[in-house]
Amino acid sequence: MNVIINVFGPEITLKQEVVLELISPTLKDVMRDLLEQKGGPWQRILKNDLSLAEGCVALVNGRNIMSLGGFETKIHEGDEITFTVLVAGG
Amino acid sequence: MKGVCGKLLDIDLTQGETKDLPISDEMIEKYLGGRGLGARLLFDMLPPNTDPLSPDNILIFLTGPLTGTAAPGSSKFVVITKSPLTHGWCDSYSSGRLSVELKKAGYDGMVVRGKSNHPCYLKIDDNGVEIREAGLIWGRDSFETERILKEAEGNPSGGVTSIGPAGENLCKFACINSDLYRQAGRGGVGAVMGSKNLKAILIRGTGVVESHDRKRIIEFNKEFARRSRKSKMSQARMKYGTPLTLNFTHTGGILPTKNFQFGTWEKALDRIDAKGVQRMVISKKACISCFTPCSLITRVSHGKYRGSTVEGPEYETLSMLGSNLLIDSLPGIIQANILCDKLGLDTISTGNVIGFTMECFERELISPTEIEGLEIRFGDSEASLAAIEMISTRKGFGDILAEGVRRTAEHIGGDSERFAMHVKGMEFPGYEPRGAFGSGLSYAVSPRGACHRRAWPPAKEILGNYPPYTVEGKGEMIKESYDVRCILHSLLVCDMPGSQIPIPLEGYSQYFEAATGKSLSVEDFQTIADRVETLIRMFNLREGFTRKDDTLPHRTLFEPLPDGPAKGQCIGEENLNRMLDEYYETRGWDSSGVPTEETLKKYQL
Repeated sequence: MNVIINVFGPEITLKQEVVLELISPTLKDVMRDLLEQKGGPWQRILKNDLSLAEGCVALVNGRNIMSLGGFETKIHEGDEITFTVLVAGG
Repeated sequence: MKGVCGKLLDIDLTQGETKDLPISDEMIEKYLGGRGLGARLLFDMLPPNTDPLSPDNILIFLTGPLTGTAAPGSSKFVVITKSPLTHGWCDSYSSGRLSVELKKAGYDGMVVRGKSNHPCYLKIDDNGVEIREAGLIWGRDSFETERILKEAEGNPSGGVTSIGPAGENLCKFACINSDLYRQAGRGGVGAVMGSKNLKAILIRGTGVVESHDRKRIIEFNKEFARRSRKSKMSQARMKYGTPLTLNFTHTGGILPTKNFQFGTWEKALDRIDAKGVQRMVISKKACISCFTPCSLITRVSHGKYRGSTVEGPEYETLSMLGSNLLIDSLPGIIQANILCDKLGLDTISTGNVIGFTMECFERELISPTEIEGLEIRFGDSEASLAAIEMISTRKGFGDILAEGVRRTAEHIGGDSERFAMHVKGMEFPGYEPRGAFGSGLSYAVSPRGACHRRAWPPAKEILGNYPPYTVEGKGEMIKESYDVRCILHSLLVCDMPGSQIPIPLEGYSQYFEAATGKSLSVEDFQTIADRVETLIRMFNLREGFTRKDDTLPHRTLFEPLPDGPAKGQCIGEENLNRMLDEYYETRGWDSSGVPTEETLKKYQL
């Protein structure tokens, strides 16, 4: 399946298309798969224990996973996953 | 009390007289400074129903108890007055040398009254204040004014705070500029300064702001600087500045687009977002008293505006003069930013007013003949620049636009008030509330009109664990955010170190004690915030505001958002009322939004 990944942190990556060999995965499954793809822009935000670095959150299609299903949120073909630091202010 | 001077400079421009106004330690303990102290002063000093642009209005500049102490983000000042845009409470914040120089000159702030019978500027130093003739600088833009004053006074290190032509021409959303690129932007404080014939303030203090325990402040700074180096939030902020917010608001579906018709705009990406801005960054800058340089200096590298340089553009400017106008040319936005800074216009209100005008043009509610032949279409960067000039000079239709979006909609008529995006007359900033309902409540209850500084609900509703399209708990959520910001804005420190390093309120409590020698706990801070917000509410009630003014535009309430994660969402009247009820209740106000007797007693008001 294909998903779109954004990373907004000390480095920015916009709309990177990633191919995953997963069927009906959760966000946690996706994170595990991403960590196995060494060198991706998400490395500084995703931790090996499948949590997020301090001060970082994940959004699925623009919604915080905490208001969805957390790390068990189901990911579908074409979903946009954003790993971001806690941005604040304008 | 250490850390404060215990007096304000009281300047009567009508009489040409100045005097000291004592501020007691008790006032600092009850109101801190900044917003809190300003609330007490404005409530007590300003007669009800004063015309905001009459000599009777007062313009208060205030620092805080941490100003000049080297605590991070402590070089802020606030301008407090009755707003000509809303006819209600106004507090407008800026960084700039004025804050620190004022304190070093021996004052916690100043109150400007009356009206000079000729254009004037103030020269303030350790010896007091002089009111001087401003004939040479009247009519000049803010950049020229600063240059001329500094050269004339042979005082390059002093701070200059001034208005541009927009303030002189009483544009209702004119700002006050400091140190070229810093603005007290919102609510028309520049028009109040212009109404007093006060063009500028040149200030230089050489005294020392004494702290109770300076060594301890330095220790705190070391500790928070260490945390800042480790914080990903802080690192991202220092690298990308506020433009990173655009990536997030687009993703979350709350990026104002085409006069708040849409919540996302793909064309913004890689052009006017953090990545686009990054390509034009030439250096970074920190405010005085801050170890987190988060301000970007950008320069246009190509095309018509090649060489144009600005400190910014900040997110609010990118959204309101960019996506909200469907302008994806970063050079065009930078040029608009510079023009607003020079002419003395708030970029948020300016972008909002122009977006509204573009929509009216598109809907054929106004024609080019009514706007000096200008074809003001979405996406037209040149038209937006022309509109900025018109507004600042009040030339032709600019005279209407300079009144703000509410009055422009009244003039145009039709159904245009449905998409005039304001609260209480102050224009929306860069967040679409239909994608985060708490933003709607925050705008609605804000005493100065639609405001992004009193709370930042997207942090809770898009990045936090509050569901964005519900109303339960939002009253409490907004009160909590308002109170934290009230404390920061009364201590008068920047929001950024608190949220990005982060520095918790306990940290600020420690800074306060080290600065003043007086211990105030977080609970004490909380009581002060409750007192201040209730006092400001009382000010607006006295000016005739009611629950009916705590509302939102028709578009926000009734038009479903057509795109993005919040597609199909609108807030609705019932939802707004439920949020208002909860907010009032948590504040200790009755269902009309009037503080109860018990609340007034509890907060010693």
